Amino acid sequence: MAANIIFHLDMNSFYASVEQAHNPSLKGKPIAVAGNVKERRGIIVTSSYEARAKGIYTTMNVAEAKRLCPELLLLPPDFPKYRAASAAIFSILRSYTEIVEPVSIDEGYLDVTDLAKTRHPLQIAEEIQQRILHELDLPCSIGIAPNKFLAKTASNMKKPMGITVLRIRELKEQLWPLPVVSMHGVGEKTAKKLNSLQIFTIGDLAIANERTLYKELGKNGVRLIKRANGIDNRAVDPNSIFDTKSVGNSTTLPRDESEYYILKETFEKLSKSVAERLKVKYLAGTTVTIQIRNYDWQNSSRSKSVRNAVQNADEIFEIAWKLFTDYWDETPVRLLGVTVSNVVDQSELTQQLNLFNFEQHIKDEPIVQLVDLIETKFGKGTIKRGVRVKSKSYASKTSFSKDFLDDHMK
Amino acid sequence: MKFNILRDHLLAGLNDVMKAVSSKTTIPILTGIKIDVTNEGMTLTGSDADITIQTFIPVEENGEQIINITQTGSIVLQARMFNEIVRKLPTNEVEIEVTNGVATIIRSGKSEFHLIGSDATEYPQLPELAADRQFTIPTDLLKSIIRETVFAVATSESRPVLTGVNWKVDGDELICVATDSHRLARRKVNLENLPTDVTSVVIPGKSLNELNKILEDTNNPVQIVLTSQHVLFKTDDVLFFSRLLEGNYPDTSRLIPEEFKTMITINGKSLLQAIDRASLLAREDRNNVVRFETLENQTVEISSNSPEIGKVEEQIQVESLEGETLKISFSAKYMMEALKAIDGQDVVIEFTGAMRPFILRSVADDAILQLILPVRTY
Repeated sequence: MAANIIFHLDMNSFYASVEQAHNPSLKGKPIAVAGNVKERRGIIVTSSYEARAKGIYTTMNVAEAKRLCPELLLLPPDFPKYRAASAAIFSILRSYTEIVEPVSIDEGYLDVTDLAKTRHPLQIAEEIQQRILHELDLPCSIGIAPNKFLAKTASNMKKPMGITVLRIRELKEQLWPLPVVSMHGVGEKTAKKLNSLQIFTIGDLAIANERTLYKELGKNGVRLIKRANGIDNRAVDPNSIFDTKSVGNSTTLPRDESEYYILKETFEKLSKSVAERLKVKYLAGTTVTIQIRNYDWQNSSRSKSVRNAVQNADEIFEIAWKLFTDYWDETPVRLLGVTVSNVVDQSELTQQLNLFNFEQHIKDEPIVQLVDLIETKFGKGTIKRGVRVKSKSYASKTSFSKDFLDDHMK
Repeated sequence: MKFNILRDHLLAGLNDVMKAVSSKTTIPILTGIKIDVTNEGMTLTGSDADITIQTFIPVEENGEQIINITQTGSIVLQARMFNEIVRKLPTNEVEIEVTNGVATIIRSGKSEFHLIGSDATEYPQLPELAADRQFTIPTDLLKSIIRETVFAVATSESRPVLTGVNWKVDGDELICVATDSHRLARRKVNLENLPTDVTSVVIPGKSLNELNKILEDTNNPVQIVLTSQHVLFKTDDVLFFSRLLEGNYPDTSRLIPEEFKTMITINGKSLLQAIDRASLLAREDRNNVVRFETLENQTVEISSNSPEIGKVEEQIQVESLEGETLKISFSAKYMMEALKAIDGQDVVIEFTGAMRPFILRSVADDAILQLILPVRTY
């Protein structure tokens, strides 16, 4: 079997580039897109390459960035604009192949194995890159490799406007000398653990003992060894974006907070936005998780699974708030998050009624009976509860959210 | 204190009181078992503060000498340690001697253990229950009452009072109710001498489960004393105290429907087996839901469908089917537990609608009633 040819396309400083494309006078200037500029939560989300040259980086505090680069132009995020640009990019990609897997708003995989039978992959990549540049005025980098992991690694090697081919036989020179932390899938914590096991480079990882790593890192450890050897069997799956596994929101508090009512309000707000997003996606989930980061940047999370999948803000808040009050030791809090996971489509929902709430459900009985009657007469699926109106939610406003993926639903 | 005792009798007594001892107790002395030796015999006491079990071993039983007392007295010994030691002693003859207050020697055959005990006066006093108002239930009936109700108590602590079984006196009727709010089990029994002062108590489900383990399957009477804070179950040689749960038990009687729209009489066993089969494809994280549907020709259909696993359908002939057609979904687990509790041949199931509670009872009477709330599907 001939090797697959996978592209990974990564937009270069996407939000900043979109802003520059919309307003060409910003080109060549240090600009950055940042959250709330006045409060501490204002952090740099993306910055242009001109800004990066001055030492500006993503997650940097706004005030600090201004100090470092006083001429830095700060822009508030404009998500509708970014979503539109993202949709245009993906429609260009889909004109080459249907096997396109969006990963985030500015990044995706393409399987061009078939296409490469008639055209050289490098030529395809160049054409895609040029079209995105000319038609949308946006720069991107493309990695070309036999699998997703290597393609992702390759696209990261040359920015901006890079096209990098990474072959299995080049692993030894290209990848192995690098420190483990530079590998996709290895975060700071994992890197620290690997270092403690005398694994410093990706090369060390490639020849590491599978059993030792399994003991220390579980399945992920074994997966990392495979990746370090250039092995990755994941297919490019255009539908993977529709399998939402969880919906969560988090927020950094304006100051280290230990005021009960403010924390409570924050949980109410978070629960509300999570509920809103679940509703837009027609989902409900049985596990609620809260994330807490304290003033000392220590992260912790607590979760609870419930019998009946939750979707409403009140239900989510009740569980989240109880988790928090049971756990919290009054340490000042910096960030809070609420996530609902184990989600299912609401048509698969089951709800165990109880003695104290069944009376609220009785009012729906006539509708259910009517639906039943129509289904018996005309067949199953002829009538459905509620209209699935396509609506957009902007309840999540961070670059990490995958809600943009709803745009890919037809 | 010094006495000799036959090991198998000591072990049998220990076995009962050990059920009350918990390693998680916050009161250190309760990790121990209290031993009191009087001229009549030996009393063992174990407790976790909620449950206290006391057994009595007489000096002599059926003409057999069990205990030989040299000197009376009391001591508290580490429960787990003492139990393990007695279990492993080499001969059936055990001598226990306490010297210097708490130093305890256990001798059997050629082995000799030296244990450090605790002062028995530090052991909490048993609640004093006035025994003037007590009623009795035959042991086997008490065991069935427990078995038919206790499985339905709530396991989560979110409403603590629901983790117990409500015993309510109504004239000469004792009504026992357990519910976790998703299903309810009710057992009614006619008894004499029911108390008139304390008429509603909530006994922790855990206590009843432990009590059920200790009680033997006989028809000997169990004497029961109810107070506002404790319940005491008394057999010939065991005293079982339990603290009661505080809080008002919800009035569930008005929630039990009395008028029905669909009535079915069905063989309980064949329904139980069909539900059991259908539940193989039901998912626990989807409330174990199975579907129940009335068909024509005295037939009902049990089905289960999990898109990612598969589906199953099974039709069962019923004894009788009256009233409106019905489609309803419910938890297979609750249905099976209810059917097991009724344990009769034919079972009557009465429904009022797809989102309303339905009840199960035996054809003969409504002494045992099981109520289940359906699962709503969308």
